[in-house]
Amino acid sequence: MTQKALKIKENDVVGSINDFLRQLLSSGKIQALLVPQSTPSKKVVYPVLIADPKKLHSDIIAPVLPVATATVVSKLTKVQPPSKPIGVVMRACQIRALVELVKLNQASLSNIIIIGVDCPGTFPINVYADFPEKKTPTHFLLETLLKKTKDADQYLRSACHVCKDPIPTNVDIVLGFYGIDLDKELIVEAHSEIGRELIKDIPLEEITDDKAREKAIKDQREMKDKQRAVFLKDKEGMKGIEKIAEFFDKCVNCHNCRQACPICYCKECLFDSAVFDAEAYKFIRRAENKGLFKLPSDALLFQLGRMNHMILSCVQCGLCEQACPNMIPLMEVFIPAAENAQKEFAYHPGKDKAEKIPMIVYREDEFLEVGEK
Amino acid sequence: MSEEKKNHSKEDFEPKIVGFLCNWCSYAGADLAGTSRIQYPPNVRIIRVMCSGSVDSMYILRALLEGADGVFVGGCHPGDCHYIDGNYKARRRMVLLENILGTLGLEKERVWLRWISASEGQKFADTMKEMTEKIRKLGPNPIAKHWNL
Repeated sequence: MTQKALKIKENDVVGSINDFLRQLLSSGKIQALLVPQSTPSKKVVYPVLIADPKKLHSDIIAPVLPVATATVVSKLTKVQPPSKPIGVVMRACQIRALVELVKLNQASLSNIIIIGVDCPGTFPINVYADFPEKKTPTHFLLETLLKKTKDADQYLRSACHVCKDPIPTNVDIVLGFYGIDLDKELIVEAHSEIGRELIKDIPLEEITDDKAREKAIKDQREMKDKQRAVFLKDKEGMKGIEKIAEFFDKCVNCHNCRQACPICYCKECLFDSAVFDAEAYKFIRRAENKGLFKLPSDALLFQLGRMNHMILSCVQCGLCEQACPNMIPLMEVFIPAAENAQKEFAYHPGKDKAEKIPMIVYREDEFLEVGEK
Repeated sequence: MSEEKKNHSKEDFEPKIVGFLCNWCSYAGADLAGTSRIQYPPNVRIIRVMCSGSVDSMYILRALLEGADGVFVGGCHPGDCHYIDGNYKARRRMVLLENILGTLGLEKERVWLRWISASEGQKFADTMKEMTEKIRKLGPNPIAKHWNL
């Protein structure tokens, strides 16, 4: 790994990052950059594919994740990956999701240069769009990073509050905020050969304190782990059909969570299929079975069925929760379920491209007690 | 079964069990139990599937949410799958489903996976007796009274 520092010019962190990205794009070594960039209204930041360096005005710090960047990269690469490298700027959770999509044959990393960004977390899209503070969300967040305060925590999405790992892995280049004085410098790391090649010609400084980053990352991870442990302990009581039924009471079967989920990739979901279409007499029969029958039906079946299908790859980005129109705090159920299920199979989604998804492999000598009791 | 009878005490409640049996082993095992005139409780409603590996957790969940008191999945013994590895996949899937049911505090004891070969008519009958009695002890599926799912 090569570690360098990018000088912050005129106290403008966002501008300095943009200068760096523009140099990257103008070098001709990559043909386009996928970066989060504000819409003209400044209400939200979308992944934007930029070919012309002059049009690059990204905001990679902007604390908002309106859509799964992993899904966007899947769209870019699934039919045919690019013939020349393109850079994609992504947060840690989205890189994990992208690795899962690659394993599921839904994306390709061929000619994809992953530029990971240290993630201080994101706010719900509506909080970001109508931000209650006087500053813009980006400046607000930057200030908390500079002063090392926890002021931004109150706005974080619950998934970000208990983030599994905010530091990007499986990347070519990292833009790091932790372990450096952000008012002066920003960390640029090259994690791969191509990453080194890309930053070679960009003027960067040497790092003065190379241990500081390591320590800051450790602190950050420990802090999140602690918040995570509290969260998991707090949700232990979410058990039993009474509580689960009540929890999902507001689910109107809109399937937005599935739409937002980077892992749910099926072209035709079972729940949109004709499986749930039936003759009237069958609905009436179901009504007779319990005496009454709620419509639309099968909301809990959808939630549990979707969970069974995707939970082993769940990267806990929390986009399902953000997408829910009725604000069901889905992470309260999905994070404990993901933790337990992934532990059962000793599986770490998004960690290693070579690690096989548990449902496509098996060993003859495992789980011997299952089926034999 | 009438509504009144259903709500009686645990002892005279008759569990409804949905059984997914693989075509090549467990279904043939059940068939053998029948042709050998081995007696076993009539509580199981058998659905023949091509392989235990084809039983998506969705089938099991749907049966449970619709109020089945138990769900049984029968497959070939490990190593004997007609499709080579379907039952190994079924086994992993069952581990996942049980794990999720455990996290959510739903009764995973109501879901059974067993290996029954085509020659094991007696084992099928015994397993059905055992399961019916265990489920009878557990009582009616509490999900059955929830209509707002």
